Amino acid sequence: MLDKSAPLAPAQYAPAPHVPPPPPPVPYLEVRGLSKRFGPFVALQDVDLDVYPGEFVSFLGPSGCGKTTLLRAISGLDVQTTGSIRQAGRDISDLPVSRRDFGIVFQSYALFPNLTIADNVGYGLVSTGRPRAEIAKRVEELLTLVGLSEQAKKYPAQLSGGQQQRVALARALALSPGLLLLDEPLSALDARVRARLRGEVRDLQRRLGITTIMVTHDQEEALTMSDRIVVMSRGRIEQVGTPDEIYARPATAFVADFVGKMNFLKGRLVTADHVEVAGATLTLAEGIGVGAGAAVTVCLRPEDIVVRAVEGDRPNRLAMQVGVMEFIGNHFSTTLHAVGTSLNLSADLSINDVRDLGICPGATITVVLPPERLRVFPDPPATGH
Amino acid sequence: MSTGTTFAAAGAAPAASSARAIRPRLSRDDVTLRLLVLAIVVALVVFVVLPLSALLGKALEDHDGAFVGLANFAAYFGDPALAGNLFNSLWISALSTVICVTLAFVFAYGLTRTCMPGRGVFKAVAQIPILAPSLLPAISLVYLFGNQGLLKGWLMGASIYGPIGIVIGEVFWTFPHALIILTTALAISDARLYEAAEALRASQRRIFFTVTLPGARYGLISAIFVVFTLVITDFGVPKVIGGQFDVLATDIYKQVVGQQNFQMGAVVGVVLLLPAVLAFVGDRIVQRRQAALLSARAVPLIPKPNRAVDLTFFAICSVIALAVLVILAVAVFASLATFWPYNLTPSLKNYDFDNMDGGGWASYGNSLTLAALTAVFGAAIIFTGAYAIEKTPRFGAGRAVGQLLALLPLAVPGLVLGLGYIFFFNDPANPLGFLYGGMAILVICTISHFYSVAHLTATTALKQIDPEFETVSASLKVPVWRTFAVVTVPVCLPAILDIAIYLFVNAMTTVSALVFLYSPDTTLAAIAVLNMDDAGDIAPAAAMATMILLTSAAVRIAYTVLTRGLLGRAQAWRRR
Repeated sequence: MLDKSAPLAPAQYAPAPHVPPPPPPVPYLEVRGLSKRFGPFVALQDVDLDVYPGEFVSFLGPSGCGKTTLLRAISGLDVQTTGSIRQAGRDISDLPVSRRDFGIVFQSYALFPNLTIADNVGYGLVSTGRPRAEIAKRVEELLTLVGLSEQAKKYPAQLSGGQQQRVALARALALSPGLLLLDEPLSALDARVRARLRGEVRDLQRRLGITTIMVTHDQEEALTMSDRIVVMSRGRIEQVGTPDEIYARPATAFVADFVGKMNFLKGRLVTADHVEVAGATLTLAEGIGVGAGAAVTVCLRPEDIVVRAVEGDRPNRLAMQVGVMEFIGNHFSTTLHAVGTSLNLSADLSINDVRDLGICPGATITVVLPPERLRVFPDPPATGH
Repeated sequence: MSTGTTFAAAGAAPAASSARAIRPRLSRDDVTLRLLVLAIVVALVVFVVLPLSALLGKALEDHDGAFVGLANFAAYFGDPALAGNLFNSLWISALSTVICVTLAFVFAYGLTRTCMPGRGVFKAVAQIPILAPSLLPAISLVYLFGNQGLLKGWLMGASIYGPIGIVIGEVFWTFPHALIILTTALAISDARLYEAAEALRASQRRIFFTVTLPGARYGLISAIFVVFTLVITDFGVPKVIGGQFDVLATDIYKQVVGQQNFQMGAVVGVVLLLPAVLAFVGDRIVQRRQAALLSARAVPLIPKPNRAVDLTFFAICSVIALAVLVILAVAVFASLATFWPYNLTPSLKNYDFDNMDGGGWASYGNSLTLAALTAVFGAAIIFTGAYAIEKTPRFGAGRAVGQLLALLPLAVPGLVLGLGYIFFFNDPANPLGFLYGGMAILVICTISHFYSVAHLTATTALKQIDPEFETVSASLKVPVWRTFAVVTVPVCLPAILDIAIYLFVNAMTTVSALVFLYSPDTTLAAIAVLNMDDAGDIAPAAAMATMILLTSAAVRIAYTVLTRGLLGRAQAWRRR
């Protein structure tokens, strides 16, 4: 199953190149049986999760899926109803925020508006009772780290959103916490700044090797930044995996639907590896362990539909009529109808394909639906939801 | 179906549903904040709830302290003179409310929806009455329309002593309160609604009744409740100009101070409490709806010049502003004249308070002390209390009780609170009895009396700052008191100063609660006005009222200058 996705070994981040066999990873954060109820509402149900040292893990899901609740439980802001959390071997389940070990960055940044950038970053250092010179040095170091040493004397309102974001990050890192929590850190920024900061935050995290958890509802953000993604829905974890696994091999229909675009085809298993969909019979690469006759949903990404090199005896080769072609910019979003069936698909065709093959609305083309790209999920029993 | 469980490390059994519930441990900050909430709760119980219970208890006792149930209430309602006063209070309040809110609405409309000239001046003039004790307009009315009044003829034989005087005085004194609420209500209107209505070719009249009025309706209702409560619980105006016309507020005073009939005073207090509580509850319900209305993103309406409309409103507002200025000026001039209206030579003879009843200049000094102490301690306690109630993590029940108690004083008329203080603190069995007769009880009573509005101001300011400040601080291991001192207080400084000014002005001008509590050593300026007027020294009363007005005004002006200058520099971070 999916847990064979080995978490990234810490060696990848810690400079220890000459130790030949990497030691079996010990989780830095262990979440066990975590549930959170608000009155009758169940916000988190029996969540188990391991986060390994140096990993960048994203909690991804629609609003209300429980990702923020899980982060707030880990931070101690909203302590869970039942279940335990261990951080670096220490049980932190019932500890208040101030006795846990993390730095946090909020969507609003929560920078203190009346303090300078330097004072914001040094805010936690002052309470440690370190000498003034040492604090100043550390603040300078942190501001250099996020590239803002020129702005030390300014106030937050005088900085751009992206700069404020980096100040918040520097402040969260000031006490060298073991864990960095990012709560929708880029959501308040405009698209261009957001894209740039993704890379910057990720770089910084790698350089420091700090274990990081980010909550986001933006799948692109999760896919580009994370070592592993935790996809959540209705208080449960749907899938944990690397970005590639989440995208290419979604474990549930929910993940398939939530991450990326997807064709959902209702069908019925004819044999263990053949499925009948809207009058067409498709070959599957692997069975899914339910008997013939079972109702299933077949999933296929629009960009996985092949239109080149479709000659010869390939499975799932279909003649399809081109319907509407919508020009998106870097590709065409196209509707296809399989001739002689009631099968309709949405396909993303590259500009090259369209140009070279002369694809246009009304034309009939041959396509292949590669069996290894088809994901099949048994339908939940009828009268489900 | 969750694959999350499959990811669990080997051997970790899924938690059973009967797993032990986690009880979060409290941090030192949690304990500090909770203790603060509890301290506020205890203080409000001791200084508001217990005195009120003492009052209720007294209303159910006979002269010897024996429990008599509702016998006193039966006696009250059986006495046509007393019960008649309840009726007087109700219709006087209703009439004053209608006149005041109507005038204030027109004035507010002129300020917010027209381009009439001089809006800044009009706004400033209309605010002045709030700086004077309610006794001042009453004294002015005596000078204008009294037996030797300048304009006595205007009344065509009717007497100013009675309903007419009370209504005019109350309208003057409550006008700024209504105006503030209505200006706010009219200022938040959405321009898009007006554009839509005009695009649909609705007439101006129809737009007013279908857009303007509905948009301001919560403000109107709120203003009606506030003015009604202020009038029915006010004591200064009817005391000075009511003549033989009695209302509930003067009744309490007469029963307690005049006849020493504490039980009947308590009964009238309870009767007075009822309309105030009803108005309070009504206002809270309306406020809740208003909040929902505000959350929509609206485009602010910018009035367009319209010569006819602007001139009409300029004329109306000029008349109102002139009336306000005349009433203020008469009191000031009368106090400066040697013998109004026969000898108008300016003189300070009426300011020679030390040779009058009422405690002399010491009263003025006492009032300054009271106002300063109330402002400093009140602002500190109320803001800290609001912070604890607003920012304590979890602890829902404690915070809810704190919030309820903090709003309770809004429903308690000053006279009722003051009477409750007599019964509670003058009780020989009360260990806090030592407070009675000193400055401390005056300060405590004044803070308690004006707690709610100040608390709401603080809460509003606190809600506007980022809710994650405390979390960030805790994650940085910074104790909450430091974030409070270094971040919260500086960020909320304008609101804190607003609270201090509000408390200062009210402590200077209030009469109602303190009239029962002052001692020969702690006579107060506003009460001196009352006593001098009672003794027939009207000109000195006007002089003292003028002193109060000038002091309040000076403090307010100093505050404005200070916030623009000195504080402006300290708050440089607010500028971009």
